Amino acid sequence: MGFYLRMRRAMVALSTLSALVVAWFVLTTVTGLISSGRFPDPFATWAAMRQLVSPGYAGSTLVVHVVHSLTLVLGGFMLASTLGVSLGLLMGWSRKAEAFINPIFLLLRPIPPLAWIPLAILWLGLGDAAKIMVIVIAAFVPNVINTSTGVRTIEKTVFEASQMLGTPRWRFVGEVLIPASLPAIFTGLRLSLQAAWTTLVAAELVGALAGIGLVLNVAQQDIYPAMILSAMFVVGVLGWLMTLLLGFVERRALAWRTA
Amino acid sequence: MIMEHRISLRETLAYGAIGLAVFFTVWSALVLSGVVPHTFLPLPTEIIGRFITLLTHTFAGATLPQHLLASLGRYLEGFLLAAAVGVPLGLLMGWFRWLDDILSPIFDGLRFIAPIAWVPFAALWFGTGFGGPIMIIFAGAFPPCLINAHRGARFVSPSLIEAASMLGTGHLRMIYEVLLPASLPSIVAGLRVSAGLGWQSLVGAELIVAANGIGYMMVQGQANVQTSTVMAGMMSIGLVGFGMDRLLRLAELTIGRRLGQPT
Amino acid sequence: MGSISFDNVGKVFGAGAGALVALEGITLTVADKEFVAIVGPSGCGKTTCLRMVAGFERPSSGNISVDGKLIVAPGPDRAVVFQQFALFPWKTVRGNIEMGLRNKNMSLAQRMPLVDAALKLMNLESHANAFPHQLSGGMQQRVAIARAYVLDPAVLLMDEPFGALDAQTRVVMQEELVRLARLNPRTVLFITHSVEEAVYLADRVAIMGRRHGRIKAIVDIKSVRLAEQWDQLERIEDVMEQESFVHLRSSIWKSLREEK
Repeated sequence: MGFYLRMRRAMVALSTLSALVVAWFVLTTVTGLISSGRFPDPFATWAAMRQLVSPGYAGSTLVVHVVHSLTLVLGGFMLASTLGVSLGLLMGWSRKAEAFINPIFLLLRPIPPLAWIPLAILWLGLGDAAKIMVIVIAAFVPNVINTSTGVRTIEKTVFEASQMLGTPRWRFVGEVLIPASLPAIFTGLRLSLQAAWTTLVAAELVGALAGIGLVLNVAQQDIYPAMILSAMFVVGVLGWLMTLLLGFVERRALAWRTA
Repeated sequence: MIMEHRISLRETLAYGAIGLAVFFTVWSALVLSGVVPHTFLPLPTEIIGRFITLLTHTFAGATLPQHLLASLGRYLEGFLLAAAVGVPLGLLMGWFRWLDDILSPIFDGLRFIAPIAWVPFAALWFGTGFGGPIMIIFAGAFPPCLINAHRGARFVSPSLIEAASMLGTGHLRMIYEVLLPASLPSIVAGLRVSAGLGWQSLVGAELIVAANGIGYMMVQGQANVQTSTVMAGMMSIGLVGFGMDRLLRLAELTIGRRLGQPT
Repeated sequence: MGSISFDNVGKVFGAGAGALVALEGITLTVADKEFVAIVGPSGCGKTTCLRMVAGFERPSSGNISVDGKLIVAPGPDRAVVFQQFALFPWKTVRGNIEMGLRNKNMSLAQRMPLVDAALKLMNLESHANAFPHQLSGGMQQRVAIARAYVLDPAVLLMDEPFGALDAQTRVVMQEELVRLARLNPRTVLFITHSVEEAVYLADRVAIMGRRHGRIKAIVDIKSVRLAEQWDQLERIEDVMEQESFVHLRSSIWKSLREEK
C-alpha cells in the first residue's frame, strides 16, 4: 500500500473513532437518549477504569487480574502449542500415525472448547488447573490441523534435496521439516491464541477466583455497566497486544520469506 | 526413507480401528481399575446409556431433545441474524469504498473482544431468556459472515465489473447481480466458519446465562456432580455441530460445482 | 572416481491394467569425468533415468550402479541439481551450500575454505548472506550448482537445470557450465530437451524417442569438438555457427523426429 493511501486510511480511521466517541458522549451525557442503566457515559467509564486500577474491583487491582489471566492464557497456549505442533508434525510426517490418531481426533473435534468447561470444573474445580485444561483443549486443535497440513504441502523437491545432501534425521526435523512448515505453523498459532483467549474469558466468566473474566462476571452481578465496559475494553486491548506480539515474532521467524 | 509413503485404504482403516480401540480400552481401564474415581469418569457405555435415558427423562426441567430444541431455536435466530446483517453489509463495504473506510476501523477494534465478553451487556440489554444468548451467538457468528462477503466482493474479477458497468449497471443491481453471485463461494465458506463459531458461542452463553438449553443442562449436571450427564451433553453438542458442518459443507460443494469452481 | 552404468534397465509405473512402461532396455555407461546428456521430448522417461541414479526411484528391472556399487538410496555421492532449484528458502546462500558439508560432520574450519571456494567459483561471494528469494532465477541456480559442486560428488546429476530460466540467463549459465566442466571435469549426467544445449555441453549425447522409452542412438560429440577446437571459442553463438556444430545438431534433430 502506498504512503498516500495509508495516510488516508489512518485519517479516516481516526475520524471514525473520534466521531464514535462524540456520538457516545452526545447520546449518553448530553441528551440522555441512552440511559446510564443500559450503557455507561464516558465519565462513569473513566471513573470505573480508575477504580479498577486502584483500589481495585472483584477482589484485586487491575494489574493482579491481568497478570493472572495472561499467565494462564500464555502458559496454556505454550503448552498446547508444544503438544499440538509436535503431534501435527508426527501426523504430517507419518501416514500411519495419522491413520491411528485421526478417528480419535474426529470424535473429539466437533465438541467446541467451551463445552469442556463444565467437565473441567467438575474434574479440577474453579481454580487455575481447570482453566489450563480448557485453554489447552481450545488451543491444541488448530495447531495440530495447521501443522499437519503444512507438512503435507511441503514440495517434494525439498525432501529430495535434503535426502540428496545426506541429511541425518534429527537435522532433517530441525532444519527442513519445521522451517518448511513454519508458515502453516504460524497460521495455527494465530488461531490457537485467539481460541485460547476466548476460552479463558469464558471459563473465568463461569467461575474464577481472579482474572479479567471474573471482573466481567462480578460487574454483571453488580449491574455496573461502566465496569462491564471497562473490563471489555481491557479484554480487547489484551487480545490486541497478544496478536501484535505474535505477529512480531512471526515476522522475525519468517524473515526469509518473499515479502 | 525420510517421508513415509502413502498407505492403502485397508491399512488406514485398520490403524484407525486400532487407534479407537486403544482410546476406549485405556478409558475403560482407567475407570475399571479405579485409577480415576468412577464419579468423575464414567464408562463410555454409561455415557451412551445416559444419553438414551435423557432422550425421554427430564433433567433440569426438560428432556435432552427439548433442551436441544431450545438451543437450536436460539442458535438459528442468532445465526440467521448474523448472516442477514453480515453478508449484505460485507457486500456493501466491498462495493462502496467510503463505507469500508468508515466501518473497518470499528470492526478492527471490536475483533479483539472475545464474543463471550459480551455476555454481561447481553444479559443487561436483552435478559437471560432468549435475547441475551442470541446476542452472544450474533457476536460469535457475525465476523466471518462480514469478512468473507467483504473479501469475496473485493476479489471479484475487475473485468466482470468493467463488463457490467459497460452495460450501464446501477449500484444496487451491481451488488445484487454481480457481486453477490461472484462472491457466493467465499460467502458460503464464511457461513460455515460462522456456523461453527456461533454454535460454540451459544454453548458458552448457555453455560453462563440461560434457564434451559443444552448448556444449561450441562451446568446443572456439573452442579449435581453427574459426570455422565455433562458428557452426554458434550456428545450431543458434538453430534449437532458435526451434522451442521456436514450440511454446510455439502452446500459449499454444490455451489462450488454449480459455479464451475473446483473446491 | 565416478562412473555410471545402466544395465538393461526398465521402469514400470503402477501395476495391472493401468501400468505404464516408462523405460525399457536402457543400457548406457558414463565413464569417469565424462559429460553425457540425455536428450528427448517431455514424457520420454529421461528424467526418470536421472531420478533412478539419484536413488529417488528404483528400477523395475535391470541394475544401475555407480562405481560398481548398486544404488539403494539417495546420497551426497550423487549430487542433484534440480530444475526448480530446490534451495531451502529459510537458509542463506551460505547456509544452503554448507548443508551437505555439515551433514558430513565437517567442522567449521574444514568447511569454511570449501564453501568460500564454491562461492567464488560461481561468482556468489557478494550474495553469501542473502536469502534465495532475494536472488534472480539464474543466481538461485548458481547456488544450487555450488551446493552440488562443494560436495565433491562422484557424479553430478543435472535435471534440466536451465529449463526454468529465461533465454538470456540460460545462455550465460551454459557458458559458465562449459567453463566449469573444462576447468574441473566431473562425471555428469545431464537431462535436457534442448538439442543445442546437449551438443554444446556434452561429450556424448544419448537420444530418447517419445515412445518405447528406449535410447535410440548415442552420438559422440567430444571427438568433433576437439578436432574442430570449439573450446577456443568463448561465446556460445560462435560455437553454434560452426559447420560441425550445425551438422551434429541437425543429425540429432532428424533422429529425434524419426518416430516410426
